[in-house]
Amino acid sequence: MNNEHSASAILERVRENGAEGDLIIDEGKTLSLRAQKGELEEHKVSSNLIFGLRVVKEHRVGTAYSEASNEDALNSMVNQALLNASFAKVEPDEKIIDISGSLKTDDEILCPSDIVTVEEKIAFTLSMEKELLAKEKIKNVPYNGVSDSIVQRSVFTTSGLSANSKQRYCSATAHALMEHERKTVMEGSGRVSREFGELDYRTIVEETYCRCLGLLDGEAIPTKHYDVILDQEYQPALFSTFASMFSAQTAKDGVNPMRDKVGEIIADERLNISDSPHLIDGLGYTLFDAEGTKTETTSLIKDGYLQTLAHNSATAKHFGVKTTGHASRSPKSTLGINLHQLHISEGIDSESILYSGEYILITDLAGLHSGANPISGQFSFGASGYLMTDGVRVRPIRNITIAGNFYDMLKKVSAVGDQLFWNQGRTTVMPHIRFSDVAISGS
Amino acid sequence: MGISLGNSMLGIQVSNSVIDYALSLGADFAELFVEQNHVNTISTLSSEVQAVRSGIDFGIGIRLVYRYKVLYGYTNQIEENELKRIVKELATKDRRDPSTQKTNFDYRKIMEAHPAKKTLSKDACIESKIAFLLAADQSARATSNIISQTSGSCMQREQQIEIFNSEGLHTDDTRHYTRASLTAYASDGIEQATGSSNDGGLRGWEIKDEIDAEKTGNEAARQALVNLSAKACPSGRMPVVLGNGFGGVIFHEACGHLLETTAVAKKASVFHDQMGEMIANPVVNAVDDGTLTNEWGSINIDDEGLTTKKTQLIKDGKLTSFLADRLGSAQTGFECTGSGRRQSYRFAPASRMRNTFIEPGETDLHEMISTIDKGIYASHMGGGSVQPGTGEFNFSVQEGYYVENGQIQYPVKAATLISTGPAVLKEISMVGKDFELACGMCGSISGAVPTTVGQPSLKVDDILVGGNA
Repeated sequence: MNNEHSASAILERVRENGAEGDLIIDEGKTLSLRAQKGELEEHKVSSNLIFGLRVVKEHRVGTAYSEASNEDALNSMVNQALLNASFAKVEPDEKIIDISGSLKTDDEILCPSDIVTVEEKIAFTLSMEKELLAKEKIKNVPYNGVSDSIVQRSVFTTSGLSANSKQRYCSATAHALMEHERKTVMEGSGRVSREFGELDYRTIVEETYCRCLGLLDGEAIPTKHYDVILDQEYQPALFSTFASMFSAQTAKDGVNPMRDKVGEIIADERLNISDSPHLIDGLGYTLFDAEGTKTETTSLIKDGYLQTLAHNSATAKHFGVKTTGHASRSPKSTLGINLHQLHISEGIDSESILYSGEYILITDLAGLHSGANPISGQFSFGASGYLMTDGVRVRPIRNITIAGNFYDMLKKVSAVGDQLFWNQGRTTVMPHIRFSDVAISGS
Repeated sequence: MGISLGNSMLGIQVSNSVIDYALSLGADFAELFVEQNHVNTISTLSSEVQAVRSGIDFGIGIRLVYRYKVLYGYTNQIEENELKRIVKELATKDRRDPSTQKTNFDYRKIMEAHPAKKTLSKDACIESKIAFLLAADQSARATSNIISQTSGSCMQREQQIEIFNSEGLHTDDTRHYTRASLTAYASDGIEQATGSSNDGGLRGWEIKDEIDAEKTGNEAARQALVNLSAKACPSGRMPVVLGNGFGGVIFHEACGHLLETTAVAKKASVFHDQMGEMIANPVVNAVDDGTLTNEWGSINIDDEGLTTKKTQLIKDGKLTSFLADRLGSAQTGFECTGSGRRQSYRFAPASRMRNTFIEPGETDLHEMISTIDKGIYASHMGGGSVQPGTGEFNFSVQEGYYVENGQIQYPVKAATLISTGPAVLKEISMVGKDFELACGMCGSISGAVPTTVGQPSLKVDDILVGGNA
């Protein structure tokens, strides 16, 4: 039985039990490779298939999933979801969206054919490690690798919707350990693409080497408040860490400080932030959300004013607005919310303004998963980077911490660059932002 | 619910055939890891049941080893042809004439050291778990009307594993994990703060007889209220007393990961060449013990089928053992410690920690605090991370206090501790008596596995505190 037939049989059983439901089927194939000391250390191939069912019966929601795809297991999944719903609270806002028809992504753009052989990918992996190892002071490349994945998602609903997305993700990364005169540093770099052939390991080698060399002699700087600019990786990472500020789900749950601030100014007036799922250059491209709602560009902050929160159909009903197409759900989870491709518009400040005077360029943040509290906005991270003057490196910095309140920082912006950049994972696009008066702890 | 295939999840005949095929392609070692995992999670929010979720994970991991090279694949498909297709694809580049003779399977029954009574397959006990979570919610809310919200979770998991390898090993085990937690949110109308409490074990829902809902709720609320009143944390280098229990996460991250052969074999650990040397202050004794009865990080056998052990990592400051999985042992020459672990069939095993802790010492907590002129008492630690190559780590303080003239002054917020593993081990000058364990999830190269951390309170003489005062 193919996935479509399985979905049809599952949803029919849901209907027979007097419920409505939607089914997510995630299917994937991945190749990943890792090198160590000139040999392939790991070669991994995988295929996976998982069914995730959500049912709504008498205004109660239940979910269940199965990685086993035989008929008994799938029937059991339906029964389990219905049983789980019977224990849940009455949830008047959560329904299966009443949309029928079909949606499908363009395979030619999002899932191009693979013309690079496995042998060539192995050669790429080995060369990347070998060339880094050949660099002066590089002792080891302990973490490196490439991967090539095809990820398919299908959403089927009892109301007759069929949505299918198929995307290819190729990546290459390397983290090297540099050692010299009892000093060590480990830094890395990476690239992603829809086509493996577009990845260039030489760029990763050079970037990784330069990052190591630049920070090797880094030392702490005096504790005080500085202006700060984060690099192309960690500025997007900082915004992603606090992305739940846009979630209507956390607002509904009473744990989002932005809940009552739609229409209010929450950021510097030069900040314009949107979610742009259709930017085709990004790997966060999303045609439909986890409920099957077709996505569109959503303005989140305009001229510093909070325009809307990101909604799924349940939070939209709760707050009396329209869904913004931000439903998230994995086969194993319940309905939630996430952003697709965060997009901050370019500002008007040229490099000469952005980089004028003294500031710290942060090139590494440690502890993003543990050192931040999205509810209060408070954060404290380990950091590395450079003390800069007029865009020129004065000296490398290590063993410092950066701390503050992200929501306050949004109002303490001194410049917004006029050039956009993508992060390495190509999921976020933004200009550099200069934050003023940030607490740095060091010597 | 499930897809049981009699006594064996995969079947002896299929396993034999797939392993034979792998060896025919010249692999030195071949292994099948079969896993079926039943999960049930109940979550509460706003004093109501938010969701009940359940599911089955099922899959087979295939590992081929050519000398030190690991080829790994996995699939949800149980058919012999699919398993052989993966073997063939994996061996594409390394295929050679057979070099290893397979040994016939000899089924090894494990000794069950972690009995569970109220298991998921017998009864999910949903009503009882809901009652526990709602009781914890009520306790938290009764603490203060500033407690504006709570969210609770109760997870129970039954993991069946079956392992076959080309050395004739055939064994299986069923692991029962249960964990309950509550997070409380405090709000004064301007700011919000959180506090949490959780407990878990390698056991069934009988754990509820030992974890008290009222205590869970009160502790989460207490911490949220403390954090709401916290002031900005001073920053700079200063002495810090690390609280007991989850304070052990620092040793886990900053030192434990550096003692895994996964890092040692690559020389990606600063300790890779320091066996037998003094790497810590002589007051430090550290252990990784997979045998503690019903503890969250315990196991009967590791995910390579080897019986787990108690491993003394540091004795009186001296490095005495690494944590070695099968491959790590072959690469480094250190004995296997039954530490080969993985999140699921999707991951090749790697050397990982189990229940890792610093053993108790002689000093009283108040005595440690009294020695601080200006510093921090980090009573509860949050998470953190470490860079194995350099040993640099960062940890957030979940609940902390500023200390001056030997006295606790006021709670502090948004503090991070940063240092390196080797440095902090030498800066530990006092080890307390108040030993405690705490459960967590550890993420690394073979996925997220249940681990316990632990320690008595410790004094670290000099560490960088990052605050925003």
